[in-house]
Amino acid sequence: MMPRLLCIILFVLSVHSVQAIVVDKPAKHTTPLILKTDSSTVAVRYLDSTSLKAYTTLPEFQYKDDLQKDPSWWTRFWAWFWNLFKPIKINKHDPSPFLKILLNVFKYLIIALGIATVFFMVLKLAGINMLNIFRRKPTLAGLPFTELLEDIHDIDFDSETEKAITQHNYRLAVRLLYLKCLKQLSDADLIKWQIDKTNNAYINELTDSEKRQFFKTLTLQFEYIWYGEFPIDAPVFKKISTLFQDFNKSIA
Amino acid sequence: MENENFEQRTDLSKLSAAVDQIKNTLARIIVGQQESIDLLIAGILADGHILIEGVPGVAKTLTAKLLSKAIDAQYSRIQFTPDLMPSDILGTSVFNPKSTEFKFKRGPIFGNIILIDEINRAPAKTQSALFEVMEERQITIDGQTYKMQEPFTVLATQNPVEQEGTYRLPEAQLDRFLFKIEIKYPSLAEEITILTQQHQQKTTDQLSDISPVLSADDIIALRQQVRTLHVEAKLLEFAAKIIYETRNHKSLFLGGSPRASLALINAAKALAAIRGRDFVTPDDIIYIAAPVLRHRIMLTPDKEMEGVSPDDVVAQIIQKIEVPR
Repeated sequence: MMPRLLCIILFVLSVHSVQAIVVDKPAKHTTPLILKTDSSTVAVRYLDSTSLKAYTTLPEFQYKDDLQKDPSWWTRFWAWFWNLFKPIKINKHDPSPFLKILLNVFKYLIIALGIATVFFMVLKLAGINMLNIFRRKPTLAGLPFTELLEDIHDIDFDSETEKAITQHNYRLAVRLLYLKCLKQLSDADLIKWQIDKTNNAYINELTDSEKRQFFKTLTLQFEYIWYGEFPIDAPVFKKISTLFQDFNKSIA
Repeated sequence: MENENFEQRTDLSKLSAAVDQIKNTLARIIVGQQESIDLLIAGILADGHILIEGVPGVAKTLTAKLLSKAIDAQYSRIQFTPDLMPSDILGTSVFNPKSTEFKFKRGPIFGNIILIDEINRAPAKTQSALFEVMEERQITIDGQTYKMQEPFTVLATQNPVEQEGTYRLPEAQLDRFLFKIEIKYPSLAEEITILTQQHQQKTTDQLSDISPVLSADDIIALRQQVRTLHVEAKLLEFAAKIIYETRNHKSLFLGGSPRASLALINAAKALAAIRGRDFVTPDDIIYIAAPVLRHRIMLTPDKEMEGVSPDDVVAQIIQKIEVPR
């Protein structure tokens, strides 16, 4: 019962307070608006028709003629080019001074690149490799030793061997006999002569076991005399020379 | 390789017998790896340090341990770890309260055959401790120089640098190794032999059966013999050309040093001795070129990315040079 009574009292009090606010508001006094009429006279000005006519003859105002003309391919190219940058929102017509310089530089760079491409293509078609001009030349080693690069097919073995024997240079004579042997093997297509191949490589190339064994013996003699620098006299040379002759006969 | 027309100038019979014995000893446990064993023996005879590289589990350490066992000399093993300090290798000065003096306590580097396991697990600071001892066979600590006993050989093992937890060794240190021997996976037949041998093995301690083949004095004598072997002048030029070309090759960022030239000739001499000759042939130089150079030369980054190996470049260089004949 008590809460209901409390609610009624609160409601009555709130209604009374609202009425009091409404009653206390002061009345507003309004003044009537007076409409003023502008009675001044207007002096109408007219454009000078002769000046106007003169203006229309100036080239700056020949819009119609400009529109009729087709833009040149150069203008169209640049229009297309700048159009590519549309998403970046560069206002080409009203750029900042810095941007203006940048755009100009960019434009001339593109032109230079185009010219360079054409130039390069012309040179390429002419077969001239101009790029080598800008490349650093490889530093070729000034080798302090003499390159041998002997071609066994260019040596006259018989006369050279004879000469070496006459001079009692049996070491050189054995070397020449061995090189001649390699030449004959190469001529008979039993080995493939290459400057980087070792004697063992040639031994392994021989498929015929008998020939391989014989050639192995000759190689051993050559290696002892040439790489080992074992002294050799006439009787030993004669023995070795016979071995070489026998081998050469077997592959002839 | 005897020649009836010529008598050997150097008696290599003892050397040949020792080489055969070492090979037989190693072959009892190690399956295959003939080339690696030849190079290891050549390295010992050429008085060089050897770096053995391979993926885990290919018996790098076992091979090095067996070789050490085959030589009756003071053997020392150092396991390289990331926290190893130079003083852990060389030794350190310890204060003696009784004598009120510092006394130098020698590290494990003092020995004849030093096995450094997993050498590239330690950083550059620790590696630099080996620079002086590997080249000059001495160490300098607190102003005092200590000479190493002869023979002094470092056998180091490492995993390829691509493996987890490894460091690239400094170039200066790599140059001090005579060879880098790469141990590959065994073939299928070799793998089956390994399993069969392991299955039939009664004892797990394989190393206890190994008895020394050579003494430290023998090693010194054999090294002296190898040094006197003959090298023809054109072959010296040939070796020099190979090294020279590595310095101008477009695929290489770093070429071989003069130390590499010396290593090439010394190693070729040792190989010639193993092959029973008292003179070097081009085959010896060509055979030894890749193990001598592969760790000393550095590829350019682009060639490295293309997958070119140092061995490929060495082969290219040799192809360009005429074999003296």
